[in-house]
Amino acid sequence: MRRHKRWPLRPLASALARSRFCSSAAAAGAFPLKHVTRSNFEMTLNDLRSHVKAADFVAIDLEMTGVTSAPWRDSLEFDRYDVRYLKVKDSAEKFAVVQFGVCPFRWDSRTQSFVSHPHNFFVFPRQELTFDPPAHEFLCQTTSMDFLAKYQFDFNACIHEGISYLSRRQEEEASKRYDEESVDSVVETEDLKLVRLADLLFSERMKKRFNEWRSALLHGSSESPGISSGSTESAETVFYHMRPALSLQGFTSHQLRVIKLVLRKHFGDLVYIHTNDKSSCSKDFVVYTDSESDKENLMVSLLQKEAKDERKRVAERKIQSAIGFRQVIDLLSSEKKLIVGHNCFLDIAHVYSKFVGPLPSTAEKFVASIHDHFPYIVDTKILLNVNPMLHQRMKKSSTSLSSAFSLLCPQIELSSRSSDSILQQRVKIDVEVDNVRCSNWNAGGKHEAGYDAFMTGCIFAQACSHLGFDFKHHSESENLAQNEKLDKYINRLYLSWTRGDIIDLRTSNSNAENWRVSNSKYENIVLIWNFPQKLKAREIKECICKALGSTSVTSVYHLDNTAVFVLFKNSELVSNFLKLKQQLESDDGPVRILHPLSKILKGGNTGAADYDAYKEICSSHISKILFADQAETVGVKSRTRPNPKGETSLETERRENMVAVTDKASDLIDAFLANRVDVKVARTN
Amino acid sequence: MLPKMQRRFLSSVSVSAGGSKTLNNGRWSVKQVKKSNFKSTLDEIRTSIDSSDFVALSLQNTGSYAAAWHRISAIDTPQMSYLKAKYAAERYQILQFALCPFSLRGSKLTVHPYNFHLFPRDELKLGMPSYSFSCQASRLTAMAREGFDFNACIYEGISYLSREQESASKFLSGNPILAEPVAAPSSPSTVADTVFVGRIRSRVKNWRQSCLDSSSKTGDDDLVSSLRKLVLGSEQYGSRLCLTIDVCSERQVQLILEMLTEFADDVVPLLIASKSGGTQAVRAVFMSSKEDMDRFKRELQDLENEENRRLRGFREVVDLISSSQKPVVSQNYLSDFTSIHAKFLGPLPSNVDDFSSSLSSAFPNVVDLSQFMKEISPLSNISNLPAAMSSLNRFFAPVDVEVANQGCPIKLDESHQMHGQNAVMISQLFAKLSTIQKSDYQSSVQPSEDSYALASDQHASDENVQVWSKNSRRVSSENLVFIWGLAKKMTASTLKNVLQKSHNVFAQEFDVKLLDRSCAVVVFWQPSSSETFLSAVNNEDQLLGGSLRVMVAEGLRAAGYETYKRACRLGFWEADLADSLDKTLESSDTDLDSDTKPSEISWTSELAINFDEL
Repeated sequence: MRRHKRWPLRPLASALARSRFCSSAAAAGAFPLKHVTRSNFEMTLNDLRSHVKAADFVAIDLEMTGVTSAPWRDSLEFDRYDVRYLKVKDSAEKFAVVQFGVCPFRWDSRTQSFVSHPHNFFVFPRQELTFDPPAHEFLCQTTSMDFLAKYQFDFNACIHEGISYLSRRQEEEASKRYDEESVDSVVETEDLKLVRLADLLFSERMKKRFNEWRSALLHGSSESPGISSGSTESAETVFYHMRPALSLQGFTSHQLRVIKLVLRKHFGDLVYIHTNDKSSCSKDFVVYTDSESDKENLMVSLLQKEAKDERKRVAERKIQSAIGFRQVIDLLSSEKKLIVGHNCFLDIAHVYSKFVGPLPSTAEKFVASIHDHFPYIVDTKILLNVNPMLHQRMKKSSTSLSSAFSLLCPQIELSSRSSDSILQQRVKIDVEVDNVRCSNWNAGGKHEAGYDAFMTGCIFAQACSHLGFDFKHHSESENLAQNEKLDKYINRLYLSWTRGDIIDLRTSNSNAENWRVSNSKYENIVLIWNFPQKLKAREIKECICKALGSTSVTSVYHLDNTAVFVLFKNSELVSNFLKLKQQLESDDGPVRILHPLSKILKGGNTGAADYDAYKEICSSHISKILFADQAETVGVKSRTRPNPKGETSLETERRENMVAVTDKASDLIDAFLANRVDVKVARTN
Repeated sequence: MLPKMQRRFLSSVSVSAGGSKTLNNGRWSVKQVKKSNFKSTLDEIRTSIDSSDFVALSLQNTGSYAAAWHRISAIDTPQMSYLKAKYAAERYQILQFALCPFSLRGSKLTVHPYNFHLFPRDELKLGMPSYSFSCQASRLTAMAREGFDFNACIYEGISYLSREQESASKFLSGNPILAEPVAAPSSPSTVADTVFVGRIRSRVKNWRQSCLDSSSKTGDDDLVSSLRKLVLGSEQYGSRLCLTIDVCSERQVQLILEMLTEFADDVVPLLIASKSGGTQAVRAVFMSSKEDMDRFKRELQDLENEENRRLRGFREVVDLISSSQKPVVSQNYLSDFTSIHAKFLGPLPSNVDDFSSSLSSAFPNVVDLSQFMKEISPLSNISNLPAAMSSLNRFFAPVDVEVANQGCPIKLDESHQMHGQNAVMISQLFAKLSTIQKSDYQSSVQPSEDSYALASDQHASDENVQVWSKNSRRVSSENLVFIWGLAKKMTASTLKNVLQKSHNVFAQEFDVKLLDRSCAVVVFWQPSSSETFLSAVNNEDQLLGGSLRVMVAEGLRAAGYETYKRACRLGFWEADLADSLDKTLESSDTDLDSDTKPSEISWTSELAINFDEL
């Protein structure tokens, strides 16, 4: 029988009831969505396997407990792509995924429509493995939690009934540790001292009971020799490997340890045995042995045969079941299906860190590695912004998921099957949940991962049709991912949407280039923090201009209230500024007070460093709310560039070459983005 | 034996008999307070606190410690225990605050149990009360098992701001603030200032004149009045006319306020704050009469008070406890009060003495139940309240519990009522302990006389750690050595055996305990042995051979207590202690701790580090 744990809370039950009955009430019911928790996970997984196998593409969407661990960890004006990657990495490592939407789409040539199977998985990093647990912690951003609550997210379903998971790396570590453990437990002899009163009483009680049982065995008492005390703990006589034994149930592990001690001390012929049977629940026995040799035999046979094999098998089974939700990821990965997401770089990073292993330290390594797991990823946000035709179709409106959906797929959103000729041209999409297919529904809950995944898939299907895909003549064998019409967009993700940085997953070399600020500009940046409060960017610019020349500073940009980026005209000014700061700080004379920079240095805590220090600060695991605190904690000391010329110029050259190469490869995107970027620059200036 | 048994029998009967009157299945009905009924309950809470002698509290946090060694253990000095508690208090969030004002008359315990559901809402989008918080997955799972309703907590939890946050947010809430009256003219004005003031003055004059006109003229139709508004840039603030003057600096604010004193009879200046904290504009509001002005100021004050109250949220209750000056009983002084300080008072100071003094200004009388418990029953474990309670059954101490706030309107299903039981149990345990101690419980109001008022106990400096068990031995921290980097996993006893054979310093008596799976601590009972060992490990070349040399070659590292202390101070809270110690040794941070004196630690062979619980 399946162990089915009921949670006592009504909202959850009703949420599930909603999901169960929605498909039957297809006329105008709620959006049909398959909610999956750990109670129906195994069953759903089997269905999902066949859906994914048959699918043309699979849309995904994730809901997390937060996005940025500190305000300055948000995407900022002067984030180089490597810094941006570090910020995404930090986010994926710190926050938990609470909902995972998976929606396979399949073209049904019979009905000339797509069939979608939206699944909404509740995920929670519950620790299923009890041994030596790695401290599992995650961060919650209060605004994100509020946001989830606003959209009626069911936290109880998530925490009470969410599906757990292990990443591949965690699985390897777990099985390694199990191996170690099983070796240890054979050798280890514990010494436990009875210090607590309760323990002493318990041991005395057990001693008496065992004595009674043993003498009953030996002298053949008429009474059935069993021990039952209280309601929870009990011991009944059974046979274990042809020997009379007491099966112990309902004792705590501490009590069992006391029993072990009692047996060792007072009963030479009673042996304590701990086994794990096939249903993976452990059992404890006290076994009677005839003689010392019999005892020896029993121990040897047990230790060698059972303990090793059985433990290993049980361990493997436990680990297997702890893998949980990762089976879905493994399925997507092994089927090599086209994965569709909307602005999904963060999602992919989460998938990697939760289900594959720790995120690599650099974007280059990440790109090299992600290809092995997800060879085809398409981002609908890229598609809508980069393709000029689609972009025009968006009529300059926002490309956020919901607005793109209502613009591109109005017929699905309103579920209207009107005879409107324009709507007729749209791709038809049906929803199938629990083998009930329906094409009429009310709009689903926004920001529910399953529905968001469905919307993403619809946008993709519609966008493909605009790009000239003819699904009607689409053959089963044809792989959407290899279609040349998509070639320009596939495996390109927004590293930062606000800045328009695109990361290309196709090549192992990173060519996520910054279109806004050319790379050499980062060498002209100085970071200043902990300056006197209330000093505004404009005032800082004035100070520095007074000290280093009126045209020395191009712009000053706030990270937060405690720190600014200063963009100098050239990198020489950067080292000049840092040197000057150092000089002033070591000087106690009147120069220090009268110097124009003194306004910034007032207080004596002002820190300044070049761009590499910023990268170092971002790579730290620590996240202080204020940037100044972060810089102090990470311990970046003010410093000047060790080698201002020389190798850096070489580096720049190399980078510029790379830009040139990628430029050629993607003229279209380039031209397009350049156009958009100009507008933005004009606004910021 | 017999009389003792009888005593035990009697006491347990009296507890259950006392309880059965008011409790249902061994549970008391606790008033659950959420966002919706918070405001209406506040007065009731105030009366409850005022009518009681003590306040018991118990917190439900989203986590307690991230790694085994982050837990406070016997080898920690007060300062380090504090640093560990501080680290946890800053990261985790309080989700439930169970409060139980109670009084004890004879054997009758009157309790007023409340349970508050808290959730930090960043309503101003300023990262207050908290930008983010950590959750321990295992803790949440355990809470779920107890039937915790996370939806209720997140949807309906009461938010709050700490005292420091409230004063910081005053400007940021976006509401206009009444400008402080200008005391004296500021620094001499420049030409630019004069021009600026002149320009603004004429603008204000024009506007004021039009206000006077319009208030005298009543026959204006809507079109004319709105046209006039358009021309003059006049706006309305509520029902009153106003003029908004944008400013670029605090200096301009000052100048405008000075200038507006000329019109003080019928114009009230308001300051409009910008998001970044400064003043964005000055709004001059026209008053039709003197009474109108009084009314306006009163309205503004009320609005501000209301807004502050709303933002303060649950902290109102903390303030009530604090201002009542009633002794506060908690299960775990350090972890509870570091959390309370961090969430409701202000950021935690960096050392324990500052913390104690800061805390005692808000809560002068704090009773640490675990400390109290140890005096009566040294071997009991306070962390499990029912167990602690039953361990006291051998004493004759009948306590009748009566729940006073019966009129609680929420009669939800059973699972809801169970939250907040801990605070009642704490008050019950406290009552029992006070009865046992036969001390007049009233005397505990004076913290100075009391041995268990830990607030004063904490001042005992790093030098002395209280002995908390009979079989503990005092040891100077100089004699502790941390070792890590062992080739394979070992138990404490095997490690001890291995060490014994490795070096002749181990010929003397010593002890080994594992701190986590990466690191162990060695206690030398001979004063200079630790130094000998440390220098042996750190100078590999001089090692003559033997297994210690092999161990060092295999990666064994060792460090003194100072390194451990530094790791905590520098905040290297890695998951494995070994990593933290490695990092500390690498860090070039040379600023020395103010107190480098060795401190004394009580070493208990059983209780020190119970590895089973890690």
